[in-house]
Amino acid sequence: MVKKRYFRKIAFGIGPHQKLPADPIQWAKSQLDDIPALSWKGDVPTGKALLDHYAHWVYTDRKVLRKRYKKDRKAYRVAKEELRHKTGERYFENLELCIRHDSAINSGAPVFERFWWFWCNHFAITDKDFMPEFTTGPYHREILRQNMCGSFEDLALLATTSWAMIHNLDNSESVGPNSKSGKYDRRKGRSVSLNENHARELLELHTVSPAAGYTQDDVISLAKIMTGWEHRYTKQRQECNPVKFNQDSHEPGTHHLFGKAYKQKGLSAKNKLIDVIGDLAAHPETVKFIAKKLCRHFVCDEPTSEIVQPVIDAWAESGGHLPSIHKAVSTVAYEFADQFEKLQPPEIWLLQMVNMTGASWPPTPSQMQYDFKSKPRRIVRSPHRILRELGHNPYRPTQPNGWPDTAIEWLSPELLIRRLALSKRLADKMQRHNRWKPQHMVESNFDSPDEVIEHLGVRDGNFDKLNHSVAIQLLFPSKWMLIS
Amino acid sequence: MTMDRRSFILGSTTLTMLGMPFLGARAERIKKRNLVVIMLRGGMDGLSAVPIRDKILNSARPDIIVRDVRQLNSDFSLHPRLKTFHQLWEEERATVVHATNIPYTNRSHFEGQDLMQSGGHTPYAERTGWLGRGIKAAELNSLAVSLPMPLLLRGAPLPDNYFPTYWSLPNSTMMNQIAATFDEGSLLATTMHQILARPRSMLEFPDGDGEEAVILAKTAAREMKKDYGPRVAVFDVEGFDTHAAQGGNDGEHGEKLGNADELLRVLRDEMGDKFDDTLVLTLTEFGRTLHQNGGYGTEHGYGTAILMAGGLLRKAQIHTDWPGLMTKGLFEGRDLNATIDARAVYCSAMAACFDVDFGYLRKQVFWGEELIDLTETLFRV
Repeated sequence: MVKKRYFRKIAFGIGPHQKLPADPIQWAKSQLDDIPALSWKGDVPTGKALLDHYAHWVYTDRKVLRKRYKKDRKAYRVAKEELRHKTGERYFENLELCIRHDSAINSGAPVFERFWWFWCNHFAITDKDFMPEFTTGPYHREILRQNMCGSFEDLALLATTSWAMIHNLDNSESVGPNSKSGKYDRRKGRSVSLNENHARELLELHTVSPAAGYTQDDVISLAKIMTGWEHRYTKQRQECNPVKFNQDSHEPGTHHLFGKAYKQKGLSAKNKLIDVIGDLAAHPETVKFIAKKLCRHFVCDEPTSEIVQPVIDAWAESGGHLPSIHKAVSTVAYEFADQFEKLQPPEIWLLQMVNMTGASWPPTPSQMQYDFKSKPRRIVRSPHRILRELGHNPYRPTQPNGWPDTAIEWLSPELLIRRLALSKRLADKMQRHNRWKPQHMVESNFDSPDEVIEHLGVRDGNFDKLNHSVAIQLLFPSKWMLIS
Repeated sequence: MTMDRRSFILGSTTLTMLGMPFLGARAERIKKRNLVVIMLRGGMDGLSAVPIRDKILNSARPDIIVRDVRQLNSDFSLHPRLKTFHQLWEEERATVVHATNIPYTNRSHFEGQDLMQSGGHTPYAERTGWLGRGIKAAELNSLAVSLPMPLLLRGAPLPDNYFPTYWSLPNSTMMNQIAATFDEGSLLATTMHQILARPRSMLEFPDGDGEEAVILAKTAAREMKKDYGPRVAVFDVEGFDTHAAQGGNDGEHGEKLGNADELLRVLRDEMGDKFDDTLVLTLTEFGRTLHQNGGYGTEHGYGTAILMAGGLLRKAQIHTDWPGLMTKGLFEGRDLNATIDARAVYCSAMAACFDVDFGYLRKQVFWGEELIDLTETLFRV
């Protein structure tokens, strides 16, 4: 018997037009070797173009409007609102959510999509400045997604040196006290200091975790190694310049991490961070920490060593090859599917509901057309609104450790109320656009279909008389849907 | 008012009104005193809310001087938009702690807003908030009226949250059928039970005139007034980050102060005589620069003021160890300095409201750090 809950543990469930895969593990593994194309048929702007929009927005607001309207705050507000429209400040985040959600349902590789979502949350970009509005979506697409079939080491290096992460964790503000710029600034009477933020998170959240037992000196040392990885700050583009290694703000010398010396090789000190990430990526604590985190996400809140060990082994044997790691997770997730339960977080649950009913979500490319002249229409703003209401917008975690992964964090009365209420909203919508095949859904997705059928009030296996509106409201916030 | 509806938070020490079995162990024994925290996000300018009579201030900010101020004492005055606060001052029910802040000097909103809630020194290092830890130390339960649990209240045992949505719920028959699918004793079942035990008024978006934030403030006040109602409420007022067009009396900063004052007015009016057993205090991530910038605004700074109101205050006073506005007294030559650790005020406020020893809270909430006990100086205990 196929363990049907697996399709919700590792993907978004079985949709109305999908057949139940006979070999679930093979089905999952076959989705992990290549990067599927995004299925969104509308506009997919480049990260570079979106950074230009970001630059236009912050420069015009900070350097033009604030000065022009310094005595007239009403006129300032009006001008700022126009600028919002022109730069798509309320538009692009919604578009990104459409691209993300459309691919979850339609890319043909839902398991890959789930792993993508995992890495987006692992290398989380918090809700800071105007990053959710312009740059977090393209960072997810271009930096993380595009590098999910290589090694963890490469992914970690690219995430660490991306504009999004450098800006999010303030590394551009970190200047080596003995660097050329540091000395210059001191002569000018300006204060010069390291910013440890990025170094600390690289250790604590992205790689080895506190279990590695690093010290404050290690953090400072890594912060020194990371100096120079910055985006230049210019008047015209403010912080929106590409990340380039700047030798002038790099703290010269040899720095030690976990007792190992990192030296400059050649004319640039760029290699120091690259060397460090190589070592951090291969560190046994990194492997343990992230293997467990993967199992926590895909299997259960408290994965046992029996669950985690095969993932650690696959990591070690493959040298951190991500598809091999993902396949090992897919395998244990199936093997332990009937023994351990997982409460699915709101965004995943939303997409499972969409996939399993065939509901019209996200808005279509034509609905997402935007003229950059007026406030985006309600439908255009709906992705952001719904995720905000559910308390789970992937572009807006408030802390750099991303959204939590355990039931205790996602179970509060209000968060559960949102799930109950969204089920009712879906029910109201589905009455008008009915693509749902309840019998197929129940039989393909649940290991105890009889219980579900009884809960829905279906008699003698006759689904024809089922009131869809009532059934949707009863089914989606039920135990069988929330937990898999 | 432009308070963010999403971050309107209401804490509780007892859930009896919800028919919940989780009454805090001490809640029945101690007198009910309410603590309301208003988070002023963006960096509230203490020099604009409570300006000092000093030529340096006027020459540093020629285009954003606050006029028509109300005099508080010979040195300090009050922004004219803080009307309710001034009325309470006249009744000896308002206090200012000036030149204070949390021990954080890096001027980032995100780090600052994390630390003002966690009470720690390292951004993002703590997963609980000082208020949550205080509620736990006082053996009281909590209820947050917010969708995500705010960091400030994390750490309290069995936190509950309330936050109205315009979305409606399935009917009660369906709700009960759904509840029946949850395994007895599971977290899911417990949570569903909390929802089902709620009065209808807490399951629908509250009716009422006026702006949403006012309606919510009224709801909060009504619940806190009850003998077994919530004891802790947390509100957010956003928008203090006035880099441009900060203005004097009618500028952007004044308007935000007006929003906070409106919140205070609603609380005072709705709570009636229970306001005598209430303390309202403000919290912000940092103050702002002494000098105005090119856009007639101010930049991120350090020291600022805490505004407190309510019947639990000892008297109308400005408690400060004023560092002066001369360059050498300023922090890094540019910001009002902070000479009082704001956490001493918060620890003392919790000691007064929760009826717990200051030293015990200092250990349980602030890791035993050196904080001065201001309980008797500031509060009626």
